[in-house]
Amino acid sequence: MRIAGKASGERAPAGAGEDLRDLLRRIAARDAAAFATLSEQTSAKLFGFVVRILRSGDVAADALQETYVRIWEKAGEFDPVKGSPLAWMATIARNRALDEVRRIRPGSLEDQPEGFEPAADEIDPLAARERSERFAALLNCLQRLDEERRAVLLLAYYRGLSREALAKRFGRPVPTIKTWLHRSLAQLRDCLTS
Amino acid sequence: MTISPDDDFAAAEYALGTLDPSERAELAARRLREPELDEAIRAWEARLAPLSEAAQEIEPPRDLLPAIEARIRAGLPNPTQSAIVALERRIKRWRAAAIAASIVACALAIGLVAREANRRSTPREYVAILQKDAASPAFEVTVNLDKQELTVRPVAARAPPGKSFELWIIDAKLGAPRSLGVIGGTSRAASLSAYDPAVVETATYAVTVEPPGGSPDGKPSGPPVFVGKLIPVEPD
Repeated sequence: MRIAGKASGERAPAGAGEDLRDLLRRIAARDAAAFATLSEQTSAKLFGFVVRILRSGDVAADALQETYVRIWEKAGEFDPVKGSPLAWMATIARNRALDEVRRIRPGSLEDQPEGFEPAADEIDPLAARERSERFAALLNCLQRLDEERRAVLLLAYYRGLSREALAKRFGRPVPTIKTWLHRSLAQLRDCLTS
Repeated sequence: MTISPDDDFAAAEYALGTLDPSERAELAARRLREPELDEAIRAWEARLAPLSEAAQEIEPPRDLLPAIEARIRAGLPNPTQSAIVALERRIKRWRAAAIAASIVACALAIGLVAREANRRSTPREYVAILQKDAASPAFEVTVNLDKQELTVRPVAARAPPGKSFELWIIDAKLGAPRSLGVIGGTSRAASLSAYDPAVVETATYAVTVEPPGGSPDGKPSGPPVFVGKLIPVEPD
């Protein structure tokens, strides 16, 4: 499958938080037309998300279908106080992709990368131009982490890398990665609450 | 927050995605019966979610959106999930043997078939009757493969005083039995999203007697008192 990349921000609607909020409200009331608009506006964003974790266009397409079915079913649970509509949808997409990549089965998807080499197009959130307040706060806290440990967190988040894969990539034993993760996450939590 | 630091780390790694498959499955089961753990996972998801703003867009395949929309409008399951279709076929093959093994299961399944026919919108369900012997059905387990969800309903069994019933999924591929949660007096649901359909297919579903609130260490405290396997419920 050929997958064309597209820079963030080329489509204005995906970032338009108020519109998405309104669409989610209508979807909660079973408005199929609102659902069509929402999926059109957000599918490239969510597909970009799941395909980087799953690394197979076909598996990602299935995961995206499941994601939108969940969005359709759970739209009423969206709480604007807790975050943006896109963040809420991305969490659903990510969990769906992670459930897939961390299924209990012999062999793992990570053994069969297809098309998406982690090094190919690294995401650098620090370079993002448009930032919500929450995103800016999180980036501020991420910047206080040691560079290597920040990279570990970001690769886990955007690529869905397991502890084993991170250990291989950074040339450290798995327990070290686990310790790094715990320290970084604790630091992040404390930084965000302060 | 009243959960332990270890559990909070587990919640954080669950949200980040770095737990290994068995740890992830265990936490997915625990969050269903531990509201504080569930809350901790949600809090971590919310902390990390702003990172999604920086994700780059990639156009999905052109036929995907129409497929999703059609699926929503029809309220129908995803027909392209070949794994589930294959599973359905395999289950049908050993279905006759499973039914013959238990007259009670058969009778209850027929009841469900009738119910299904009246409520055509949920087509792909499977049922297991957990029992001690053919004369004493205790729990009815239904699995909806589209939603990757399991529902367990007590039919006749009552937990001994001061004890709880706990449901387990048991399969050689999983190693140790995995908890699907404590069963109370009414029906309740559990997520199967952490399990491969092939595991859901071959697994044995079992109930053990546990201390109140469930097994303290995540392992069955004793042998199963009720067991069963899935058979399909035909929508027509």
